[in-house]
Amino acid sequence: MTASSSVTHGRPSQGPVRRRGQRSRRQWTAPGRWVLTAVLVLVGVVAFIPVYWTLIASVQPEVEGFATPPRWIPTSFTLEHYADALESIPFFQQFANSVVVTAAVVVLSLVVSLLAAYPLARLEFVGRPVVFGVFIAALLIPGQVTVIPVYIVLRTIGLTDSLFGLIVPGLIQVTAIFLLRQHLLSIPRELSDAAAIDGAGHVRVLFTILLPGVGPALSALAIFIAQATWNDFFWPNLIMSTPERLTLPVGIYMLGGGAVGAPPSTIFAAVSMIVVPLLVVFLVAQRRLTEGIAFVGTDR
Amino acid sequence: MSVPVSTGANVLETGVRTRRSTRRTRREARIAYGFLSVPLMLFLAFLGLPMIATLVLSTFDWNMFTPPEFVGFDNYARLMSQPDIAQAFVNTVVFTIAAVILHLVGAIVLAVAVRAILSKVAQYFVRTTLFFPMLISGAAASMIWLYMVDPNYGFINYYLERLGAQDLPNWLIEPSTALSVLIVFDLWKTLGFTFVVVLAGLQSIPQHLYEAAKLDGAGRFQQFLNVTIPMLSPTLLFASILSMSGAFQIFEPMYIMTKGGPGDSTLSLVQAIYYTAFRDFEIGLGSTISVVVAAVIAVITIAQFVLSRKWVHYDRV
Repeated sequence: MTASSSVTHGRPSQGPVRRRGQRSRRQWTAPGRWVLTAVLVLVGVVAFIPVYWTLIASVQPEVEGFATPPRWIPTSFTLEHYADALESIPFFQQFANSVVVTAAVVVLSLVVSLLAAYPLARLEFVGRPVVFGVFIAALLIPGQVTVIPVYIVLRTIGLTDSLFGLIVPGLIQVTAIFLLRQHLLSIPRELSDAAAIDGAGHVRVLFTILLPGVGPALSALAIFIAQATWNDFFWPNLIMSTPERLTLPVGIYMLGGGAVGAPPSTIFAAVSMIVVPLLVVFLVAQRRLTEGIAFVGTDR
Repeated sequence: MSVPVSTGANVLETGVRTRRSTRRTRREARIAYGFLSVPLMLFLAFLGLPMIATLVLSTFDWNMFTPPEFVGFDNYARLMSQPDIAQAFVNTVVFTIAAVILHLVGAIVLAVAVRAILSKVAQYFVRTTLFFPMLISGAAASMIWLYMVDPNYGFINYYLERLGAQDLPNWLIEPSTALSVLIVFDLWKTLGFTFVVVLAGLQSIPQHLYEAAKLDGAGRFQQFLNVTIPMLSPTLLFASILSMSGAFQIFEPMYIMTKGGPGDSTLSLVQAIYYTAFRDFEIGLGSTISVVVAAVIAVITIAQFVLSRKWVHYDRV
C-alpha cells in the first residue's frame, strides 16, 4: 500500500503534503481556520483529561483529588498514595517482569520471524506455497480463538504461573513473518548473491547482508509487538497467580479488584507510575512510535 | 493487500523452477526447512494445532477433570438456548457496529481537520493527545474510566449537571447506559490508531488529482467526495477490517469495569469464552463460542475484501 511507504520513508511524501497545505490555506478563510484550530485543541484537551485527572488526583489527599466540583489545579501535594501503592503490590518486581517479558518477546519473536521469512522470500523448495498459505490463513484467525487449547498446552507442559508461559506463545507472530517476507522480497537479489559467491552461508547472508535492508520494518514491528506485549492483560490474567510473577496491567487490576481493594487514590498512583514513563518515552519518540504502529497497521 | 496475487505468483514460479533444477531445489529444501523448523514448531504448538483443537473440542463435553465425552453438534445447539451467550452475541455485534462507524467517521473528520490547522504547535498537540491513550494498557485505562464516570468519585456527572442534565444514572450500573459508556471508552482508547492510519492515507494522495478536480470546477466538498474518499478507500477498508476484528474480540473494559453486567447487558463474546471455559470449566461449550467468533471474523473479513472490489480504488497513479 502506498500509505505505508509514505509512513516508513516519510520524505518522498513531504513535497505533496506541503503543497496541499498551501492549497488548503488558500481555500479556508482565516477566521474559519482559527475556529477549527480552537475546536481541535479542545478535542485534544478532552482526550487528555482522563490522564491529567489521574496524575493530579494521585498527588493530592483523597478528599481534594476527588472533590466536587473538580479542582483542575492541585492545591496540596502528597506522595502518600505512592507509598501505599508500593506497599500493596510488589510494583518494582512487576515492572521488572513486564520489562523482561516484553524484551524477550520482541527480540526472540523477531528472530523467529526472520528465520521463517528468509526461506519464504529467498529459497525455492517443495511445499513453499503450502507453508506460506498456512501462515496467511492464520492471519485471518483472531488470536482469542486459540486460547482454550493454548491454555491446556501451557498447563500440560507446566508453564502456567511462569514468565516463560507469557513469553513462549508470543514468539510466533504471523504478521511479522508476512511483513518481513515482503520486505526481503524487495531487496535486490544481486546483493545476497554476491555475498553467497564469496562463500557466505545463508545465516550470514540473512543476518549481515539482508538485516540492514529490513531495518525500518524491524523497528516498526518491534514497537508494535512491544506495545501489545507490554499492555497484554488477557494472558497474564489467565495463567499467572503469584503476585511476584504478575506483569503490570494485572498488578494494577489486582490492586483495585478484590485481591487488595485499594482506594482510588492508591490505584491512580500506581497507574501514574506506569503512565508517566510512557508519556516521556512517547514525547521523545513520538514520530517513531506512531509511524511504527501505523506502518504495521497498514503495510500488509 | 497483495496477498492473493503473490501466493499465485509463488505457485507458478515454484512449479516452473522445480522441473528445471530439481537438485538445487532439493538442496535448498533442506536449508529452508532448517530455517523453518523453529518457526513451524512454534506455529504448530501455539496457532495451527490449537485452531484445529478448538474445532475438535467444540464437539466434546469436557470439564478438564473427567474424560471428555463426544457429543457431536450438541454444543452448537446449546449456543442458541443459552440466553447469556445469545445476549453476549447481540452485545458484541452492537459494540462492533458502533465502534467501526465511530472510528471511521471520527478518524476521517479529525484527520482532514488536523491537516487544515494553521499552527504546527496545535497540530502536534492534537496528534499527541489523540494517540496517547492507545499506548496505555487497557487495564490501567479501564481503572481510570471506572472512577471517572462514577457519580461519587468522577467529574462527568458534575459537568453534565452544569449543562442542565437531571437525574443522571450511575452509568455502569444502569443496563441501558453501561454498553454506551464502554463504546465511548473504546473510542477514546483506540481512535488514535485509526486516526494515524487515515492521516497516513491522506498524505499519500497525489496533489495533482486535487488540482485537476479544481480545474474541472469541483468545490472543496466535491473534491472530498470524488478525490479524497476514492483515493482513501484502500486505507479505509483496512482500517475498518482492523477495527472490526479488534472490536469483535473486546474483553478488557468489560471484564474490568462491568464484569459483563448489570445482568448480561455488557457481556462480550470473548468474555463469554473466558467465563464458560475457565470459570465454569465447560471446555466444549467455550470452544464452540470460539469457533463462532473465528467464523464470523473470517467471513466478515473475506466479505469486506470481496465487496471492496466494487468500491475500493487501488490504482493510485
